[in-house]
Amino acid sequence: MRLARAYGRAMWDARLVLAYTLLLSLTLFILAPFLMIALRSVGKGWFGRLWLPPQLTLDWYRWAVEVGNIPEVMKNTLIIGVIAVAVSTVIGIFAGWAFGRRQMPGKEVLMAIILLPRMIPPITYALGVAQIFYTLELVDTYLGVALAHVSVCAPYAILVLSATFEGLDERVLEAAGVCGANTIKRFFYVVLPLIMPGILASMIFSFTHSYNEFTLTLLTYGPHTVTLPVRTYLAVGDGYWEITSAMAMLMVVPSLLILAVIQRRAKPEKLVGGFKGV
Amino acid sequence: MTDVTIEFRDVSKRYGTLVANDHLSLAIRKGELMTLLGPSGCGKTTALRCLTGYIRPDEGRIFIDGQDVTDVPTHQRELGMVFQNFALFPHMTVQDNVGFPLMIRNLSKAERAQRVAQALRLVRLEGYESHYPRQLSGGQQQRVGLARALVYRPKVLLLDEPLSNLDAKLREEMRFEIKEVVTRLEITAVYVTHDQAEALALSDRVAIMNRGRLEQVGTPEEIYEHPQSRFVAEFIGLSNFLEGYVQAVDGDTMVVSVGGLQMRIPVLAEAGPGQRVLLFLRPNEVELLRPDDPGGANVFDARVEKVTYLGDTLDYRLTFGQGLTLRVQSDAQRRFGQGAPVRLRFPRVRCWAITGN
Ligand SMILES: Nc1ncnc2c1ncn2[C@@H]1O[C@H](COP(=O)(O)OP(=O)(O)O)[C@@H](O)[C@H]1O
Ligand SMILES: [Mg+2]
Repeated sequence: MRLARAYGRAMWDARLVLAYTLLLSLTLFILAPFLMIALRSVGKGWFGRLWLPPQLTLDWYRWAVEVGNIPEVMKNTLIIGVIAVAVSTVIGIFAGWAFGRRQMPGKEVLMAIILLPRMIPPITYALGVAQIFYTLELVDTYLGVALAHVSVCAPYAILVLSATFEGLDERVLEAAGVCGANTIKRFFYVVLPLIMPGILASMIFSFTHSYNEFTLTLLTYGPHTVTLPVRTYLAVGDGYWEITSAMAMLMVVPSLLILAVIQRRAKPEKLVGGFKGV
Repeated sequence: MTDVTIEFRDVSKRYGTLVANDHLSLAIRKGELMTLLGPSGCGKTTALRCLTGYIRPDEGRIFIDGQDVTDVPTHQRELGMVFQNFALFPHMTVQDNVGFPLMIRNLSKAERAQRVAQALRLVRLEGYESHYPRQLSGGQQQRVGLARALVYRPKVLLLDEPLSNLDAKLREEMRFEIKEVVTRLEITAVYVTHDQAEALALSDRVAIMNRGRLEQVGTPEEIYEHPQSRFVAEFIGLSNFLEGYVQAVDGDTMVVSVGGLQMRIPVLAEAGPGQRVLLFLRPNEVELLRPDDPGGANVFDARVEKVTYLGDTLDYRLTFGQGLTLRVQSDAQRRFGQGAPVRLRFPRVRCWAITGN
């Protein structure tokens, strides 16, 4: 009896230790680099083995904005992101409808092909995209970079929206028809509201992927289409760690905003799958 | 002006090699509650979908009020339908669900509100206007479904297993509620179910389906008393079948030889001597007598093989004649133990036969 209890306590302790270890390492992995950059972006005269920067400043941010041309770069990033989201969502709706609502032969194979750009090494895929875009003169255009991003955003949109359409109850649509709604009214009054959570989820996924995309941008950007990740990477090459850190921090802000919106507005379980009839 | 509201004329629908509806011909009269009864997968929903226009039959035509609607799209057919899984709009309140058909028809807001209130009163759901479907019980959801189907005064009300998703007690309650509403509104209704008790209790007429075909159409009494095929007999709960052949016809009685015994049953118009027939007997309509009770016509000696106690009745398995077995249920007053000899009496008029081959 006592042995059992001791064993139980030991197990409990072991579990506790495991939990703390996991939590700690997660915190370290996620927070440490972030903290490092955050401190670096506001520290002045931080050399050697000091634990904390001796002086705080916002100068690096000013530099980042002025020298790094962050407003322009941010504008590029957002425009490209919006185009990528729009194109991927439209593709996602049509493909998701087909995957989610129809029995079709070779569904699995098609799905695998769509997911392919995500499976092969990004640089390999990006090289191919770049070569095609050079011949099509799409390099250094908003549309070009956005289309490159679509190759990674669309698979997510398709996955999410397929699940959404699969969750759509066929009989609810049938009911709307019997009630007198033609195809267009059925779509706007019933289908659209029911797949809206899925569309939002797919838009958020697409946007974050476009916003963070690096490899594909690197091979298709030009002077007029520098995006935040690329600009930050270039700043690293210039050797100014502080300014680079400030840029990196600025880059995180929109991501955090999106995260906040997701947390506030949408329940994750609502985003994927949509509603069910019963 | 014809009094036929709905007509299936030779309607067939195939899914690949599977024939879901096989040359269905059925006329439903104005104001009638017609039930499509049959086991799961026999094509009832398919028939309803042909009627709503959700699917188009491969062959045949569909008429509503004398008009050929085979090529009329669903949303123009002016039907009301209640679904097994309720199929309410999950993102709309009860008010908006019921008001949906009126909104589609561009009725004014005031008129809509008034008609919705009226429909909700009909199904006794006042006070739930601002609830969402997921906040309601199954029974309440189905009432919303019924209100939504009736709110715009459709020509026909279709109900596809509306009670199957409810628990047994509620099912019985709702059965009568639906019947009452349909009767009160004098609306033509097509009711689909696989539950024979439900069908017999509700319907003016029942159409029994089997593997995409119609087996028999008739009033509940006709179906119950005089099933025209073994399938129908089995489906509505008959369990005793005896095969035999006609020996002689004598006025309104014919003598049938069953397992070496002679049974006298009501004559079948189409049966002559030598005709093979199938006899149906309900377990509760065969009389059990003591072995020393007097014999006579349709009285045979038998032996109890097995007794099961069912509370107010006893369920016997008996053997008699040359290898014949029979199930009989009788009240618990007169008891026979296993292996006991008994006498059976088949009341002549309770025996029903069809010609078989
Ligand atoms: N869309 C479909 N595709 C293929 N087969 C179907 C389809 N709908 C129904 N079936 C088949 O047709 C037969 C009849 O179905 P249904 O009309 O739904 O039967 P019931 O409503 O009587 O249970 C079933 O065997 C079913 O599997
Ligand atoms: Mg069905």
